[in-house]
Amino acid sequence: MKRYHDIVGDGGSRVLEQVAAQRTRITEGLAEVRHLVAVGSGKGGVGKSTLTLHLAGALRARGLRIAILDADFNGPSQARMAGVLGALFVPGTRKVALPRTRNGIAVFSMGSLIPESQALEFESAADDESHTWRATREFALLGEVLASFEWGALDLLMFDLPPGAERTVQYADFLGPRTSFLLVTIPSDVARGVVARSAAALSKGRNRLLGYVENMSGYYCRDCDAIKPLFDTGQDSPSHLEIPCLGTVPFDPELARHCDRGIPLAERTETPVGRALERVAQQLLESLELEPAR
Amino acid sequence: MKFLCVPCDSPMKLQTVGPPERGSLSIVYSCPECGYEMAMLTNAYETQVVQSLGVRVGVESGSGSAAEPNKCPFPAMIPSTEGARPGQTGEPIPVRWTAAAEARLANIPEFVRPMARTGIERFARERGALEVDETILDAARDFFGM
Repeated sequence: MKRYHDIVGDGGSRVLEQVAAQRTRITEGLAEVRHLVAVGSGKGGVGKSTLTLHLAGALRARGLRIAILDADFNGPSQARMAGVLGALFVPGTRKVALPRTRNGIAVFSMGSLIPESQALEFESAADDESHTWRATREFALLGEVLASFEWGALDLLMFDLPPGAERTVQYADFLGPRTSFLLVTIPSDVARGVVARSAAALSKGRNRLLGYVENMSGYYCRDCDAIKPLFDTGQDSPSHLEIPCLGTVPFDPELARHCDRGIPLAERTETPVGRALERVAQQLLESLELEPAR
Repeated sequence: MKFLCVPCDSPMKLQTVGPPERGSLSIVYSCPECGYEMAMLTNAYETQVVQSLGVRVGVESGSGSAAEPNKCPFPAMIPSTEGARPGQTGEPIPVRWTAAAEARLANIPEFVRPMARTGIERFARERGALEVDETILDAARDFFGM
C-alpha cells in the first residue's frame, strides 16, 4: 500500500501549498530586515513591553530603522504606550503601511485594531474546545501580519512577546533561527527562576540567546536622586541565569506614567533610567554588531 | 470524521492505525458489510491537529468540523469597531471610493479592511474630500510618515 509520501500532491486540499505560500510571503516581506530580536521572558509583568519600546526609542535615536511587532495579540500594550491607539491603516499597492510613532518607529499592535474594551475573538467549530485552537490560530494570524504589512528596509524588527515560558519557545519555533532572543527578568527569585527555564528551553533550539536585562532593578527616587531597592532579595542572591547580562534598568514611576500616555522616553537620557537604557541599547547593538546610522 | 460505504450505506469502521511515518498517519477503514477497505493518509498538519486535541486515533475520536472553506478565518477574530471611535457623532458623510482605491483596499488582509476603510474615510472628510482615490491614500501615507 502506498504511504503518504509515495503519492504526489495532496489530493486537492492545498493545505501544504497555502502554508508554503504564506511562508514565502513572510520571507519576502522580511528580506530587507537586518535583525529580528524577540523580547521575551516567560514571566509576565516584568516590563517586556516597556523595555522593548524604550530600547527601540534609544536605537531609533541613533538613527536606526526600527519596527516593533506587538506579538501579544491577547494583551496588546504597545498601541497605547507607543501612541498608536486608533492609528490609521493605509493600504499600499500590495500591503498595509504600518503606523509610526512620533519618533518614527513603525508599530504593529493589535491594540490599534481592537478597542481596549474588546478582546480578540476565537470562534471554534467544536464547542468548549477553543483552547485547542487558540495557539494555532494566533500563530496563523501572526504569519498573516508578517506577510501582509510593509516592514520594508529595517535595521531591527523587535517582537514584544506575550508571557509564558512555553509560548517563548513556540515563538522561537515559529519565527525561526533568524530571530535572536533577549530575555527580561526582575530581581526576584520567582522571576529569575521562570526566566531561567525560558533560557534553558531556548538553548535547546537554534535561536541565538543574546542575554537578559534585569528590569526594575531598584527604583529611581526623584526626591533623593538615587536608586533605591525595590525587591528585598538581597544583594547576594544569585541570578541563576547563565547567559550574558546586557544591563540593569531601574523602575521610574514617571516613566510608567509616560507609557500610559504614549509619550516616548526620547530626551530623558539624562536620568538614571535613561542612562541605563542607553547602556542596554549599546550592549544590544554590540551583540548584533549593528552600527549606529551616520 | 465518519466514512460511509456508499453502496452499502453503512458506516465504515476503523481497522488499523499505522505508526507515524514522517508526520503521516495511515488509517485504514473497512466496510463491515462488504469488506471494502479504504485508507486515510494524513499530512503532518492534520496529524498535529489531532494530537493537539489530546486524542489518539483508534482509541477515541475527537469531534469538530472544518472551518468554512475558502473563507479567511481572521476577520472573525477582530470584533466590530463600528461606533467605537471617539469623536464621531451621527451618520458620517458618505465617501465614495474610486475603483483604483478599492482595488488597493482589496489587496490588504480582510481583517484590517474595516479599520482601514473607516480611517481613510475620516482622513478624507477632514480634508473636505468626498471621494477616496489613490491621491488620498498616498497623502495619508505621507501625512503619517509611513
